[in-house]
Amino acid sequence: MSNQSGSDEKVARCPMPEIRRIPNDGTPLCPSSTFATWREEGAATPLEYSDGHIGMIINRYELARMVLEDKRFSQSPPRMPAHHGEVLITGYELISGSELDAGNVLGLDGEQHARIRRTILNRYSVKSARSYESDMKEIIAKQFEILKTQPRPVDITKHYSQPISAAGHMRVLGIPEQFRSRYSELFVEESETDQKIAFLREVLAVKKNELAEDVLSDLLRTDLTVPEIEGLTLSLMVSGRDSVAYMISTAMTALLNNPDQLEALKNDPELIHGGMEEFMRVGAMFLTVFPRTATEDIEFGDVKIPAGVSVSVSPVAANHDERQFSDPDRFDLSRDAFGHMGFGHGIHGCVGQQVARVEIKTAVMQLISNTSGLRLIKAEQNEPIPFAHPVATYEAGAVIVDWN
Amino acid sequence: MKVRVDREACIGAGQCALVAGSIFDQDDEGLVILLNETPGESSHAAARKAATLCPAKAIVIEE
Repeated sequence: MSNQSGSDEKVARCPMPEIRRIPNDGTPLCPSSTFATWREEGAATPLEYSDGHIGMIINRYELARMVLEDKRFSQSPPRMPAHHGEVLITGYELISGSELDAGNVLGLDGEQHARIRRTILNRYSVKSARSYESDMKEIIAKQFEILKTQPRPVDITKHYSQPISAAGHMRVLGIPEQFRSRYSELFVEESETDQKIAFLREVLAVKKNELAEDVLSDLLRTDLTVPEIEGLTLSLMVSGRDSVAYMISTAMTALLNNPDQLEALKNDPELIHGGMEEFMRVGAMFLTVFPRTATEDIEFGDVKIPAGVSVSVSPVAANHDERQFSDPDRFDLSRDAFGHMGFGHGIHGCVGQQVARVEIKTAVMQLISNTSGLRLIKAEQNEPIPFAHPVATYEAGAVIVDWN
Repeated sequence: MKVRVDREACIGAGQCALVAGSIFDQDDEGLVILLNETPGESSHAAARKAATLCPAKAIVIEE
């Protein structure tokens, strides 16, 4: 990091155009001031990509929505924004370069994307999310009992958020019980893409003989090709698992940083529903979503995006745009934060968001309703820590708490 | 107010069923179904909110 900031100073004195990368001096709940600077400068400003491409970052809310709704952008080529600092976890398997790309929903456009995505929608509907509620409550209550047996102070990311998100993910996907510990080893800890693919093939082989009411069973009932099924399974096993854990820990950090809000929520549990949206607004995990590339010259008012140029929408920047959210840096459970970009937007918007809402809300309420004097000892994420993935997402970090 | 939905465009994010469950639901494929084409005035704000939140612009409101 010191080298990076050193070169920044050099660039700032240099008459050449400034090289702009995703800043790493912010935290989930207190984004880098660079985003505010860029947002003031324009709805879209230059951004460097890791392959040397000079594209743009979308800083303002209104343009962010327009870009993500616009079909003239493609998910290809799969380039990534450049960013300052190191990356903690590499191998976010969304660009594999293999035949499994046929089922990677985040890399597909148009008809093929719709065809793949539609096979799994039913298991992520509002109705389905509600049907998982009792199972999620059970998973969360069980994990809360385990959390209570840990020596305190205790890290809730490791002993609460991560096990809950892994178990919840396995429940919805339908990963059989015997694969539980290996799923956590491969997808919560670090592993190679090949290991993950070998694992999912094993899981699918078992599932084929015991079809049930879950996502993987549904996939195996479709007419998708084997690479499509495997590619989609890989996307589903990777995506969402870490983000639910991240958001449980980040929501708790936001509440513990703001004791008045924590008290308000304890006194009025109904606040959790709007509060959930506020967690997603102030704590959005993705500094940028996966880039889109213009397939033709595109103009949005003054913003001109020539064909071939990549743009990255920043949920973090958009969620703090005062043109959309008044006093955007204030964490306020009672505001109407709907419309935030925390789950993305457009046809690639998070497919699991209704399930994520149930899991995160239930996990937060379980913890705050069944402890007294809950307090933060230290949240690593209150200081800048390395990004979690090449696309630049925030990491949950250890969130160490104690209670009476 | 008249509400229309475009099931071809729908991507099943469920925002409409979440914020305006008396007007929108999702079928067994997870796609939008319209429960009430002409919602009463008390539901207009919810219908507009659903249209705004829809990530695929699959809800059109004529007023």
